[in-house]
Amino acid sequence: MNAPKPPFQALGPGEIDAHAKRWRDEAFEPARGGADRKPFVTDVGLPIEPLYTPADLERIGHDYLRDTGFPGEFPFTRGERAGMNRTDPFVVSAYSGFGDAIACNRRFRKLVEIGAEQILVALDLPTQCGYDSDHEMSTAEVGQVGVAIDSLADMELLFEGIPADSVKRIGTLGNSIGPIVLALYAALGEKQGIPWSRYTVNLQNDPLKEYIARGTQILPPEPAAKLAVDPVDWCVDNAPNWSPMTVCVNHINAGGAGSSMGTSIALGNARHYIDLLLARGRSIDDVAPLLHMFPDERHDFFVSIANLRALRRIWARMMKERYGATRREAMALRTTVYGHGMEALAEPLNNIPRTAFGTLAYVLGGASYVYLAGYDEAVSTPNEDSARLALRTLQIIAHEHGFGDTIDPLGGSYYVETLTSQVERQILDGLAQVDDAGGALAVIGAGFGRKVMTQGAVRRQRAIDSGERPWVTVNKWPQKPNVPNMAFRGDPQAAERQLERLAKVKAGRSAKDVADALAKVDRACADGANSVPAVLEAVRAYATVGEIVDVWRRRFGSFVPSTDF
Amino acid sequence: MTTNTPRRRRIRVLIAKVGLDGHDVGARVVARGLLDAGMEVVYTGLRRTPDEVVRAAIEEDVDWIGVSTLSGAHMVLLPKLRRLLDEQGAADIRILAGGIVPQEDIPLLQDKGVAQVFLSGTSIGEIVEYLQRETPLERGSAA
Repeated sequence: MNAPKPPFQALGPGEIDAHAKRWRDEAFEPARGGADRKPFVTDVGLPIEPLYTPADLERIGHDYLRDTGFPGEFPFTRGERAGMNRTDPFVVSAYSGFGDAIACNRRFRKLVEIGAEQILVALDLPTQCGYDSDHEMSTAEVGQVGVAIDSLADMELLFEGIPADSVKRIGTLGNSIGPIVLALYAALGEKQGIPWSRYTVNLQNDPLKEYIARGTQILPPEPAAKLAVDPVDWCVDNAPNWSPMTVCVNHINAGGAGSSMGTSIALGNARHYIDLLLARGRSIDDVAPLLHMFPDERHDFFVSIANLRALRRIWARMMKERYGATRREAMALRTTVYGHGMEALAEPLNNIPRTAFGTLAYVLGGASYVYLAGYDEAVSTPNEDSARLALRTLQIIAHEHGFGDTIDPLGGSYYVETLTSQVERQILDGLAQVDDAGGALAVIGAGFGRKVMTQGAVRRQRAIDSGERPWVTVNKWPQKPNVPNMAFRGDPQAAERQLERLAKVKAGRSAKDVADALAKVDRACADGANSVPAVLEAVRAYATVGEIVDVWRRRFGSFVPSTDF
Repeated sequence: MTTNTPRRRRIRVLIAKVGLDGHDVGARVVARGLLDAGMEVVYTGLRRTPDEVVRAAIEEDVDWIGVSTLSGAHMVLLPKLRRLLDEQGAADIRILAGGIVPQEDIPLLQDKGVAQVFLSGTSIGEIVEYLQRETPLERGSAA
């Protein structure tokens, strides 16, 4: 390839390497004085050299045009859009939810008023697990870690005064109830008189990772994956501007897999979903643009940047070479990230710089949609002040310090380019292991995922207990962990209000319409048809989340929890 | 009581997830750590009702139930677990909680029969030490 040679190569790579060795022996080793003060190795197990030089780029066979290229162009290492944060900063996003729809609506209005451009609704565990608020399993959980949504009536209240098109995107997680949350957002637009083409819905809707990492699975994995791709399939025809699936590394990494293997497992999940869609006769150019990924790395700042750059490159090549994609949008991966650091329970204010640094890494890595954890989030649902602080921190990163003034500012860094290639290699090796294990379903069923995660979680715990991974207030200047009493507890009346509203909704709707719609939901399951149209009809008739999921449970059975550890 | 006295048997622990919270990394890391320390450990898996946990604890004849709690449901689920154990003649099985519990709730839980609360960030060594110190040598010999 006749690529223009970077100027440093005029010196000759061997010569730089010789200088680097000399520097190491003559200058660095005496300074080091015999022993390292700690192990220099990343959480993903890559050793960290004291210094990187052009010789490292030579060693990894770095080819600028092939591997790095230009923003918005294949292989998208430097960004998924041409202008990135210079022309259009990342989308400042808020993830929030607690109590009942009325209490939560007030928080959402506040967030929009202070500049949130995307609202992702945190659902309580009963909703996520497909139980209505009045179910026995919902005891003590209604409105606890998110807002309780039993039916469309709750959605109407939740978004009262917040038109669906007043922010860039609205959405929620709903990993195991994808078609239902999609239908709730579609019906919300109908109620607000806003056509689907005028607003954008983002769903996480990635059930496969729940079985190994997050724990809100309802059905066995196979029907769960089928139900999850139904919204993607439906959106291709009805709302191609929506983002109905976000394939997640986040929880897999946090659970112990590490960001590289976590990315491999997530890519295995993405392939599973894509293969299901292609088997329905969809084209990769139609479905890939509707998918996002949710990368994650919270231990090592530079690995985080490298992971995002490597992931975009892997995705682009996978779409082009494995699936034959031709559209730019199918190859340019959009990413959602949630800024964390290694948050600690002791002295929670220290989590403010931790999460800000973690988020900055994602922004420097070129993330598209950025959330930031509240500093008190390790303890409870963020209170209003910490939610505001999280949003303001994002706005500061987007607009101050010049962080976004030039695109991919760390591209070309000897360290970052070397790490990007090393992380890419780790992810591809991990993906080969996922394939060898038998693919996404086998990662869950045969215990591969669980083993990787437990081993990693134990390794991390040992690194902390031994002090190998320094952690201020935990193993350095240790303080007693403390969960403060000011932890936000929400509105104690919210659960009661929710139960009253649910009873009222059930009394006020047409029992026949609900029964007819639920029968159609069941028929769609039996026929293997796309579940979304029938679920949408049920949602419009104010069928509850629990009632729809009960139809699925009867049809597909329930997951069996693993007792391995 | 000296630590040199041989135990009748190894310490037996049931690690449990009660309710809908699906985050079980902490539960599994603790389970593994206790196993490595020579204890016998059983894990319930996710999303168990208090009834199921009590049944498993009695069947497995454990000394301790370690409940991982992160979703804020601890004030309801843990006392319920204690009450069910007591009702079913298993008052000698003791409860530990681990995870996220606000400071002011800890004495309230202790009043309701939870032996100890270990917050996230506690080292495995501290939990092992506690169990070795607090487990009676003979079942039912001390409380």
